[in-house]
Amino acid sequence: MTRGSSLYVEDLCMAFGQGPQEHRVLDGLSLRVDPGEAVCVVGPSGAGKTTLLRCLAGLARPTSGQVRYGELPLIEPHDDIAVVSQDYRGSLLPWMRVWDNVAFPLQGRGVKKAVRKSRALECLEAVGLQDVGDKYPWQLSGGMQQRVAIARGLAYDAPVLLMDEPFGSVDAQSRFDLEDLTLRLRRQLGITVVVVTHDIDEAVYLGDRVIVLGGRPTAVLETLTVPLGTDRDQLSTRADPRFAELRTRVLALIRGEKLPTGPEVAHQ
Amino acid sequence: MPWKPILRQLWLPALVFAVLLVATAGSTSFYFPPLTDVLATLWRELLHGGLVSDLWFSLRNILLGLALATVVGTGAGLAIGEVRTLRLATGPLLDFARATPTVGFVPVIILTLGIGSGPKIFLIFLGSVWPILLNTISGVRAIGPAVYETSRGYRIPWPLRLRRVILPGALPQILAGIRVALSIAVVLMVVSEIYGSPVGLGNFILQSGSSFHVAETWAGTILIGIVGYGLSVLLLLVEHRLLGWYHERAPRVRSPRPVRAAPSEIEESNGVVV
Repeated sequence: MTRGSSLYVEDLCMAFGQGPQEHRVLDGLSLRVDPGEAVCVVGPSGAGKTTLLRCLAGLARPTSGQVRYGELPLIEPHDDIAVVSQDYRGSLLPWMRVWDNVAFPLQGRGVKKAVRKSRALECLEAVGLQDVGDKYPWQLSGGMQQRVAIARGLAYDAPVLLMDEPFGSVDAQSRFDLEDLTLRLRRQLGITVVVVTHDIDEAVYLGDRVIVLGGRPTAVLETLTVPLGTDRDQLSTRADPRFAELRTRVLALIRGEKLPTGPEVAHQ
Repeated sequence: MPWKPILRQLWLPALVFAVLLVATAGSTSFYFPPLTDVLATLWRELLHGGLVSDLWFSLRNILLGLALATVVGTGAGLAIGEVRTLRLATGPLLDFARATPTVGFVPVIILTLGIGSGPKIFLIFLGSVWPILLNTISGVRAIGPAVYETSRGYRIPWPLRLRRVILPGALPQILAGIRVALSIAVVLMVVSEIYGSPVGLGNFILQSGSSFHVAETWAGTILIGIVGYGLSVLLLLVEHRLLGWYHERAPRVRSPRPVRAAPSEIEESNGVVV
């Protein structure tokens, strides 16, 4: 039940500024995401994760190299790709009601109001938000606002969902709920999910694969497969020894250390 | 009924009115007739004199001038705010226009356009378009980058983006601009009627004043105040209706991003130059 095409990043370089002031952020990055896959990109802050995601969304143009969706070079945003940004407060429009925010991208496609609204309410229900359609976003908590942003991505009905540090600014409990929500939606809808995060636990918990970025300028250090299946839950998955092993490995990669032999250190 | 907040706002105006009433009662001063006389004159002039036609003339001019300024200022402001090339090109010109007092244009406009209703509307337009234009531009510029990114990412077509993203996003500042424009417009309304006009409130106070009808002069002046106040109350109601979301938001989310140009700054800088 997977839809859409694969995403390809080929030898992506991104530099800001010119001449001697040139600051190279991404250097020769290549990766591939197949339909229906959940891939987490993890790396230290300042590694250019958001830049990478903006390239994947067609919002930024690489200095060299290319990003393709199937055969199509992504030089502008594509109908098949929805983005959920970290800044839910800035990306939800405070003058529109919640349902209107969710339905707004559909208005851009010329969908009639009644259809739009029922689709929006449907998607709000899918993210666990009933009865808030007529409220304004700023009347909701941070976690709920991020759910609205996810619902908007769903309403767009795109096979690919890109998420940039999606749960970075919500409280810990909401964060677990939102992670589980993401896993469930992905299972139910068969969508491709790319999550960019600095949180190693989150990356391992959400991904089928974890792509570890590092170095200056940033390149792919390693791609790890997460052998935890698709049915995961916060308690048993996080207690799984394989989970602990993976997160230790990712942490070591990012820190540029050899695998620790002693008792494992928490990453935060 | 919420009597308390109403009382808390009204006691001082009521007190001032009462003090004026008492202080001027039985006044024999030629220049400061009793307030009751002034109000009686105002009432009489409105009912039987020509004051209603003066009022209507003035009101029509100020409303048309402001409406024109709002349409042009908002339209041009949205375009200039959105298009970098336009913004760079118009920058120096706008600063020049903002710093030039519109009152200085009165003789030129009367000279070139004559003394009918048209030149007055034009003058009011000319004075009030700048704060609206400048506020619209800075309102558009203050819209957060996440908002732009979102509407680009979801491929919102530009007419829809303009109508449902840029315009509402800049609306708080646009309305602040209109509020500033209103006070400028009232001044220009009066000034434009003092210089070469057979009708209007400005003409009424000029005529009464120069023929030493002191009560009439005071009455006209009070009426101008009432017109200005009435219009700003009207604007406040419109603002409340349009900006419910802006005022009801909790303070902690009121400025989720650094505000580049505080509206109050702009208001002051524009308010001084008439």
